[in-house]
Amino acid sequence: MAIITQNKTPTRPAPLSESSVLGWMRKSLFSSWFNSALTIFTLYIVYITLQGVYIWGFADASLVADNRRACYDNSLTGACWAGIIDWLDNIFYGRYPREEIWRIDLGALLLLLWMAPMWMRKVKGKIWIGITVVAFYPFLAGYLFAGGDKGLFMQLMIAAALVALPANLINMLLGLYKEQSLGQLLHTFCAKFSRDEKVQRNLLLALVVLSIVIAFVLQYQWQEQGVSWTKWGGLFLTMSIAGIGIAFSLPGGIILALGRRSKLPIIRVLSTGFIEVFRSVPLITVLFMATTMFPLFMPEGFVLNKLTQVIIAVCLFNACYMAETVRGGLQAIPKGQYEGAHTLGLGYWGTMGFIIMPQALKHMIPNIVGNFIGLLKDTTLVSIIGLFDLLGMLRSISRDVPWLGLHKEPLIFGAIIFFIICFSMSKYSRHLESKLATGNKN
Amino acid sequence: MTDTTAATQPQGQLSSSASSEIIIEINQMNKWYGDFHVLKDIELTLHKGERIVICGPSGSGKSTLIRCINALEEHQEGDIVVDGIKLGENLKNLDHIRTEVGMVFQNFNLFPHLSILENLTLGPIWVRKMSKADAIENAMHYLKRVKIPEQANKYPGQLSGGQQQRVAIARSLCMNPKIMLFDEPTSALDPEMIKEVLDVMIELAETGMSMIVVTHEMAFAKTIADRVIFMDEGDIVEENEPNAFFDNPQHQRTQLFLSQIL
Ligand SMILES: Nc1ncnc2c1ncn2[C@@H]1O[C@H](COP(=O)(O)OP(=O)(O)OP(=O)(O)O)[C@@H](O)[C@H]1O
Ligand SMILES: [Mg+2]
Repeated sequence: MAIITQNKTPTRPAPLSESSVLGWMRKSLFSSWFNSALTIFTLYIVYITLQGVYIWGFADASLVADNRRACYDNSLTGACWAGIIDWLDNIFYGRYPREEIWRIDLGALLLLLWMAPMWMRKVKGKIWIGITVVAFYPFLAGYLFAGGDKGLFMQLMIAAALVALPANLINMLLGLYKEQSLGQLLHTFCAKFSRDEKVQRNLLLALVVLSIVIAFVLQYQWQEQGVSWTKWGGLFLTMSIAGIGIAFSLPGGIILALGRRSKLPIIRVLSTGFIEVFRSVPLITVLFMATTMFPLFMPEGFVLNKLTQVIIAVCLFNACYMAETVRGGLQAIPKGQYEGAHTLGLGYWGTMGFIIMPQALKHMIPNIVGNFIGLLKDTTLVSIIGLFDLLGMLRSISRDVPWLGLHKEPLIFGAIIFFIICFSMSKYSRHLESKLATGNKN
Repeated sequence: MTDTTAATQPQGQLSSSASSEIIIEINQMNKWYGDFHVLKDIELTLHKGERIVICGPSGSGKSTLIRCINALEEHQEGDIVVDGIKLGENLKNLDHIRTEVGMVFQNFNLFPHLSILENLTLGPIWVRKMSKADAIENAMHYLKRVKIPEQANKYPGQLSGGQQQRVAIARSLCMNPKIMLFDEPTSALDPEMIKEVLDVMIELAETGMSMIVVTHEMAFAKTIADRVIFMDEGDIVEENEPNAFFDNPQHQRTQLFLSQIL
């Protein structure tokens, strides 16, 4: 016998537990007497902890004092933030000459300016922002921070950076106000002169070369007083090492990963060996090796300073870790994608660059950012081989005569700084993921 | 399995557009996967404008054969000559052959991170060195031919299976290939989508494209094929023109296969 429903079942609002805060609380926090007891107990513990933190860190804390003794005279149960405040410049800039600190601030500001468009939804050509920042900013900032003489290569890179930065800013403004990219603007500009694509391309090239030449002439006058690397320290040093490490490790890792999957045996064996050696040794060992053994292999008279050695070590170490992350991402791409690309006649680089890498990198974002965060935290190891990075600086507060024995506050302060940086990185990675995920549902 | 394709049957058979010019020639070709002898002494010629349908039981080596033709797989013995170029001689020719031979896969293999239009313009721009504007015009032309121009800015994941397969066909056609290979293009599709893909393929056949099609859609095979080839266990067991092949199969294995499938 057939059953036929004549009337439509009317829709009803969802039960209270799904729609209101009170309903949710009753369902998930107070559903039985045992759950209620647990909830209340947990709330109590949270309260005690927060109260303790509040009293120590805020209510009883001393912000102004000349030394640790004065802090104690003020209150025995509060934190002595005065020590941190007194050392703030050292914590951020190390022993960088005080009258030159603006160079660090300017460098940081330029980086922010350069990267800011990455966060803006309307701005186009984000890949180019990423590429230029990795390729050119390190040289601009490097000279800004270190000063002294610049070689020809350095000058060229600085000139390129001086072109790329304004171009990036123009691109940002165009994106925000005209919903256009700089590339499109230049394209329509060139199209006015000729319809032939070859002519257009040459015109574009000429424009770029011309602006680099102008930038080169401009930067030629620019001279900054040299600041020895021994004066670098604090958060500035940490960010410099980590920044270069991050900028290098992804491209380095991609190259190593491709090498490891190469069909040419020599390249494959070399890449694999390199990756495995660096990955099976702790970073601290690599750092020691870099500073003690590296000079032995170098030709005589070729001296690298300790900072450069450390940076090279950090870069290589992390490139090897990144290589394995990238390889994992590559393996997740189905064979059909390679075959689809091959049937179009895209060669190896076309297949990798247009088809495989973009998809693989998207899968890998959480792992890549995880590696970056690990890298940032690992840089604290350089304090062991005698560089005064953020951690090194914080720990030397307790050896400074007025603040002798002040351990807790600096370390907590350091933890907060690291947390802020790492948390924003992981937040950004999640933002990236969700944005890319909406672009193409699979 | 054939009631959806029955609709294509009343159109009758297409007239042959085969010329005497040979475009694919396979001679005494053998292939092994490790110790497993997949293809045995394969002999096959495709004339320009000719359409061959390959059928046979699962695992008989149909896919392997057509994958060898555009060098997705290497063969170990014998010769494959495509468009005058002998395969396996040097790597530079390989990309040339792949641009001249279009291939459509069972599971589409579209690029999910690119829009339909980007899927269609990538090859022409980077391999054929077409200008972007021309490539887009070209892509829209073929999207119209497969009847989904309105989907140009969507992503593959937003299309139905039948639409994706039509995009895949259009993507190959955008490269303006001389030969099209199809590996069971409809077997991953729901019945109601099979017809839309087969119709596109029939229209393509009408333009005189040289085609090799692996399929189990027998009514379709009858419509377009100039020759039908039956493969079993790596051998080409029987080769005949469609009417004779279906009405009067000679070999016992062919009879058995056809009795199971029809
Ligand atoms: N990469 C490989 N390595 C080893 N054996 C393989 C490989 N690919 C296919 N084979 C084997 O080769 C034989 C032929 O495979 P092929 O895919 O060509 O069959 P087919 O005729 O296309 O079958 P189907 O109708 O199921 O697609 C099968 O027995 C299969 O197991
Ligand atoms: Mg198959």
